[in-house]
Order: sequence, then structure tokens, then C-alpha cells
Amino acid sequence: MRLIRQDRHALSAAYALDALEAGAETDRFTRHLNRCPSCAGEVRGFREVATALAIAAAAAPPPELRARVLAAVAHTRQLPPETTARARPRRSRAPWNAWLPWLSGAVAVASIAVAVFFGLAQAHTQAELNQARAENQAIALVLSAPRVRLLSTGTAKGGEATVVLAADRRELVVITSGLPALPSGQVYQLWLIGKTRIASAGLLPPVQAGRTAPVLASGVLKGDALGLTVEPAPGTAQPTTKPILALPLPV
Amino acid sequence: MSPSDSDASRFRSATTDRRGERDLDDLLVHVARGDTEAFEAVYDRLVGPVYGVIRRVLRDPSQSEEVAQEVLLEVWRTATRFDPAMGGAATWVMTIAHRRAIDRVRSATAAAGREQKMADVRTPHDEVAEAVEASLDRERVRRCLDGLTEVQRESITLAYYGGYSYRQVAELLKVTLGAIKTRIRDGLIRMRDCLGVG
Repeated sequence: MRLIRQDRHALSAAYALDALEAGAETDRFTRHLNRCPSCAGEVRGFREVATALAIAAAAAPPPELRARVLAAVAHTRQLPPETTARARPRRSRAPWNAWLPWLSGAVAVASIAVAVFFGLAQAHTQAELNQARAENQAIALVLSAPRVRLLSTGTAKGGEATVVLAADRRELVVITSGLPALPSGQVYQLWLIGKTRIASAGLLPPVQAGRTAPVLASGVLKGDALGLTVEPAPGTAQPTTKPILALPLPV
Repeated sequence: MSPSDSDASRFRSATTDRRGERDLDDLLVHVARGDTEAFEAVYDRLVGPVYGVIRRVLRDPSQSEEVAQEVLLEVWRTATRFDPAMGGAATWVMTIAHRRAIDRVRSATAAAGREQKMADVRTPHDEVAEAVEASLDRERVRRCLDGLTEVQRESITLAYYGGYSYRQVAELLKVTLGAIKTRIRDGLIRMRDCLGVG
């Protein structure tokens, strides 16, 4: 069910209190913030109210916490700063982008967990297990790469695709939620669509519990868009149906 | 009902420039450059609210301590990504703290233990009232909360301090989702105006 626009604005307060349901609802509103500068401004103001509520709840921590935190700090490397190459004009206008590192981290962890679950649960032989582990490692490399971008878009068949793009590596990872399961004999196929070629980027794994496990696509070129079509199994060399999703990739 | 300017500016000063100490945003910028002394100053300024809000949500002291430690380490680790232009340091840190507490609440393991503690949940308003003799900030927030309608106050405190989703709040208060969204939003707008923030 699609929320009407007015409803979604009304969620900015609940979002600022972290009171949206984790997962799809939070993801959907986060995407809405992308397109709604006034909502982002409102969230920012509400977050300040939340900060006041936190300050009002201040309590004395156990005294030994200080030494423990400082000891941990002494052994912990800080994240490198984001370089200007990553800064996009839109970022400076939109304060919610401050939370993007947190968000992509959370999505990354969730994706890895899903990947391990699906990949390893479906492995029946040692060879399959090894292959699943190798795929998970490749996916983990993309998710942990510096300067990844998180992109998200709805599809014409409902549901949405989330893409973690590691432009430096020319690789991306795709997860989806809410795509309808396909009848047997049909598959979801990913494409890298450029000016001079359309290359298959592999198949989505079957929809399970409304989600598809992460898949890795390599060889992204400048100007590519990511496409998704429904094709006869086991996939085709070139798309034969209209894409249900076309997402420009900022490489 | 409307707050005086001096109240609003006192609240601001408490979060950004208490007792003439170095500005929190500035301290965090130094933390990002690996300045551990600056980190100690940030720790001393924010550990109370960080631990307090986590404790309010989780209730269990040892879990709260664990999560507070994670949050403060996260502040150190990701200070390089803090951008003062996008919001204040206190808000940045408190958002991390509250989210981590909520993540813990909503993870399956925490849920089981927490259900049992529901029985002795006091009304949020009493909890806030308990804090009467505390700091000016606390007093100020209490007064602003008092300016809300009962349902607005309940909705906001159940969501923020109780760690409930708005759907759960709607269930607890036996009202529709639409009504809860509106109450939280109207309440926050009133709080924002009363506190002079945003």
C-alpha cells in the first residue's frame, strides 16, 4: 500500500524520535527525505527537541566507564574523512545526509547477514559452500569500500531495489524487498545499460520472504544505468521485456 | 505559554557553550583530527545524557553501560564524518545514542527481558517530574512537556523514552495510527517552539 504524500510528511516527527518501524518503513521515509528538503529541515528541528529530551534524561554513568572508553579509543582507528570527490552539491543542502554513514553501515551489516543466511543455508556441498563464502567476501568488499553510495528506487512491479555502489571498484551490490515472486520459468535479470552496450549483470536470486539476497555486479562503466527486467529462465543475452527499473549510476 | 527569549537562549547555551568551555562542535572537529584530549572533553560533556537516555530506554544498567560504551567509541571513530554545517554536535551524538538504544530494544534478545519490566512502567510524566531538582535544562524540558496536552506528552515520551514505535504507541494508547502521528508531530512542534530550537 502506498502512503499518500500528506501522510508521509506527518512521519517526520516519528522518524526524528526513531519511532518508525525498522526496515522498509524507515527506508521509505529516508528516501522521501531525499526528495523533500522541507521534511529534512523539519526532521532536523525535531532532532533538536529529541536532544533536549536526552539531555533532560542525563544520568551519572558508572565511573569505570570513562577508563574503559578511553582505553578502547586508544586502540581504535578513526574512519578516514570523506574526500571532496564524494561531496555532491545536494549533500550540503540536506542535513539528513549527515546520517548516511550510519544508514549505509546498517544496510551493509543487514545485507551481509542476509547474504550469509541465504548463501550458506542453500549450500549443500562443500563446493557450493566455498562458492557462497567467496561471493559473500566479494559482497563484503563492496559494502566496506570507501566512498560507497547508497541508491534506492521503486520498481514498476512494486517493491524496491537498494544498490550499494562502489564506484572506485566499478562494482555494485543489489538487494530488493517487496518484489513479487515470479512463476517458475521466469527470472529477474539485471542489466548494465550504457550508450554502446547492454550487458547482463546476472540474475536476482529467487524472492524469499519478500526479499532477494544480495548479488554482486561488476564492470560498471561511466554513464551506465542499472536495469531490471523479467525474462524467461535461465535469463537472456539481451533484454526482451520492458525494464521495471532503470537507475542511473553515478560513476 | 510561549517561552521567554532568555529561557530559549539559556537552553541553547547549555548545549553549546556551557560555562565558557570550548564549543562542542569545535571540540568534535578536533576529535576528528585524533585529539584524544578533545575527546575526553566531549566525553565529560555528553556522557551523562548519552548514558541517561540509553538507560531510560533500556532500563537495564549493565546493558545500558555496554551500549553507552559502543556509542562513545562510535563518536570517536566517526567524528571524521561529523559536519557542523549539518547540525550540532550534541544532536549528532544523541541521535547515535538513541538509535543504538532503539536497535538494542528491537533486537530479539532484548525484547524478551523487557516485556517483563513492562509491568512496573511508571507513567512517563511521573518519571519526568521526578527529575525536578535537576539541572536547568531538565527543568526547562519539563516545563515544555507540561505545556503539551496529556496525549501529546504521553505519545512523545512513550516513543522517545519508552523506545516504542509509533505503531506500538498507537496500540498502547488505543488510538489510530493517524491520530498518533498527528499527536507526536503537534507535540514536537510545540516543544520546538517552547525550547526555542530548530
